[in-house]
Amino acid sequence: MMTKTTFKLNLGPQHPSTHGVLRLLLELDGEKIVSCEPDVGYLHRGMEKMAEKMSYIQYLPTVDRIDYLAGFFYSELLCRIVENALEVELSDKVRAIRVMLLELNRISSHLLWVGAFLMDLGAVSPFFYAFREREMILRYFEKISGQRMMYNYFVFGGVRHDIGFLEDVEEIISVLPEKINDYEKIITENPIFIRRTVNKGVLSKEMALNNGITGVNLRASGVDFDLRFGDYLYQGFDVRTIVLEAKDSFARYKARILEMRESLKIVAQALEYLKKSGPLEQKLINPLNLKLPEGDYFADIEAPRGVASCFVRSYGEKNPYRLKWRTGSYYSVNLLRKLLVGEYLNDAIAIAGSLDIILPEVDK
Amino acid sequence: MDWDKFREMFLGCELVGNKILIKSKLHDVIKFVMENYPYDILKEIIALHNPDGRIELIYNLYSTVDEETLLISILLDGDEAESVTDIFDSAIADENEIFDLFGVKFIGNENLKRLYMPEDWQGFPLRKDYVQDDTRLAWNDDKNNV
Amino acid sequence: MNYLYFLYIEFLQRHNIPQLFGDITFYFIPFCIIAVALLLVVIVLVLVERKLLGFFTQRKGPNRVGWWGILQTIADALKLLCKENITPDKADKFLFNLAPILVFVPMFAAVGVIPYSSEFTFINTSTNVILYLILAAFPVLSIFLAGWASNNKYSLFGAARSIAQVLSYELPMTFVVLSVAVLASSLNLTEITLAQSSKFGALGWFWIPCVLGFVIMFICILAELNRCPFDLPEAESELICGYNTEYSGMRFAIFYLSEYAMMFANAMFLAILFLGGYLSPFGKYFFGAAPLVYFEQAFWLFLKAAVLIFIMIWIRATLPRLAIYDLLKFSWVVLLPLSIINLFVAVLIKFGGAVWMA
Repeated sequence: MMTKTTFKLNLGPQHPSTHGVLRLLLELDGEKIVSCEPDVGYLHRGMEKMAEKMSYIQYLPTVDRIDYLAGFFYSELLCRIVENALEVELSDKVRAIRVMLLELNRISSHLLWVGAFLMDLGAVSPFFYAFREREMILRYFEKISGQRMMYNYFVFGGVRHDIGFLEDVEEIISVLPEKINDYEKIITENPIFIRRTVNKGVLSKEMALNNGITGVNLRASGVDFDLRFGDYLYQGFDVRTIVLEAKDSFARYKARILEMRESLKIVAQALEYLKKSGPLEQKLINPLNLKLPEGDYFADIEAPRGVASCFVRSYGEKNPYRLKWRTGSYYSVNLLRKLLVGEYLNDAIAIAGSLDIILPEVDK
Repeated sequence: MDWDKFREMFLGCELVGNKILIKSKLHDVIKFVMENYPYDILKEIIALHNPDGRIELIYNLYSTVDEETLLISILLDGDEAESVTDIFDSAIADENEIFDLFGVKFIGNENLKRLYMPEDWQGFPLRKDYVQDDTRLAWNDDKNNV
Repeated sequence: MNYLYFLYIEFLQRHNIPQLFGDITFYFIPFCIIAVALLLVVIVLVLVERKLLGFFTQRKGPNRVGWWGILQTIADALKLLCKENITPDKADKFLFNLAPILVFVPMFAAVGVIPYSSEFTFINTSTNVILYLILAAFPVLSIFLAGWASNNKYSLFGAARSIAQVLSYELPMTFVVLSVAVLASSLNLTEITLAQSSKFGALGWFWIPCVLGFVIMFICILAELNRCPFDLPEAESELICGYNTEYSGMRFAIFYLSEYAMMFANAMFLAILFLGGYLSPFGKYFFGAAPLVYFEQAFWLFLKAAVLIFIMIWIRATLPRLAIYDLLKFSWVVLLPLSIINLFVAVLIKFGGAVWMA
């Protein structure tokens, strides 16, 4: 007689390693996962509904909350929508400031991921080391914008005020490469880490594309796709993309580490320009009574967790008729449904961690 | 892309701005585009509740090879649409979200469920005719007492 | 023990108390001493671990309660004592309450087996080592009981993992202990200690002939203690807290403290088997006189245990966790054959010369 040998396990929404409030309904056979059903929505704040009731300037401070680890990217998106619609050119200095802050934000986001991923694997120390370096970046953000995470520093047509404290960025650039070397020493060559990540969670090129995976996860699966190349913001900057062919958790880790180094080089270029540049010249858009002309507007950007994009339909009113966010993590969560099947429970945690899922971004 | 050939195959479609507006056969169009042109990512599905009361779906296809975007748009007559989950797995996520917030039923997608909203929520919040009057909510208390 | 016994009887006779009373009370007092001393050691250990982890991860560690945070553990224990003991509704209440008690008893007994100095062993039988191994493996039963009775899937996972882990690591450990027993020709911990004494001090201990066994034993002890990188039964990022997810208040504190007590006992056990137990590393003691030399011997034993515990904490701060199948594979495929080779080497060292001569 056949008996049912599987059982259901409810992973989350309160669980130490789901990075927020992700809930995974697992069906397990022993420790092996038979099926996985992600359930999101425990952090839904109705960002899209809110936008329909607010004017653009009212909405701007809230968009940082979509991803609290990479807030600059989302305010950049909304600014970009408005700037494209009103056809405002950004001055070179504004572009350099934005690129520098975006890349610093990317580094800080990746740093947190390194710590959290190793925490998922059971190593305690890298978390604190990564946070120590992230603290330097956050302190700099606090100095220029007054906030550590929800910056509200980019405004329509430019930035809130001129950049300063460039010596802090210089320090970050000089200190971080050594620290990243230190992480590599404690993590990359660790045999247990290699056992836990190499050939685990293999995400093939076709599967990644079919599931809408973008960003670092896609590049670690061997697809050379980076939105920063076509981005007008990055024009004049030497951007290099990391493409790895290994497709596993280790490749995703390695790609992030390498991307941090590349981002540092971009920050260095921006810093070089900013140090030489004169005072800030920008043509700010008057946010009061700001109305977008009728039409559909798209904007997308390479955020730390994949392509983030914003769609706005305007009928020439003060508030958008419809505003839609596309976030990278949402598709990563959806991918778990397929990627975790057949894995052991402890590998499943590591694989889910390696995709860099941030729940506020998923739930919007 | 070869617009004339495309037009021949699917009668009644027209180019509006940068997007292709089709009348029907959504699934076939997406499949045709997928098979004949190098579009490999369904970046997102955008749903809109148009002022005329019809729901519009915009399929944002993207090619990672030549970095091009293709927008395919359809205006739904009712609240039912064809699912494209057999072509793109990522559509499961998008269609689920649209089902939750717009109430569009995708035929062929078995994963549809309330995602952000509670399971027993009444109405679909991103529709323009949505009225928030669920009497179980604290801020609708006055309606409760009536 | 005889030394203390005579001292005690002599003291009683001086006060005209019959010897029978002394015989009865003599074994009662040491256990009181153990109980108090062990709790003190555990309290210090918890603090030391937190402090060290703090230093490893560039934090300060506890530093608010008392000078240098020394009262932090006591404060935590008090807090846990005051907390409500929650028993889950659908748990097996009898077993749920029994498990923390069962984890405490063998722990005390295991500490009693250790020879702290040449005259200070509470339970001194001729097969001390076997007794210790049994007592040290006993907590896994209560861990399983706790996991099963909690009626929680995460707890059950932790319990099942714990059983699998201890079963597979007990075997190489026993083989290594056997090789030490062969070298010392004894199963008594005191005799094993004495067999390592030579005028070369630290060079005469068993870690020289059995360096492989020492490493295997250290790994096995980490696995038995559920310490990183083998902390799968309570893997925080996977199983919340493993077998003690549902425990709260004092029952949780008991599990928590017993882990540290077992860590201390196992570190001492390892020190006895390979690092000469209470022997001085210089080959001779600083104090020649009778009462002081015992304290010196105990000091050496504690020092060796402390070094081993430091290494354990260091490992915890460094390594990620193993996967469950790797953990079992590592034991059966790597450690078990190596431990048999180690036994073979030990036999060769002990009897090889004699066989060759013959």
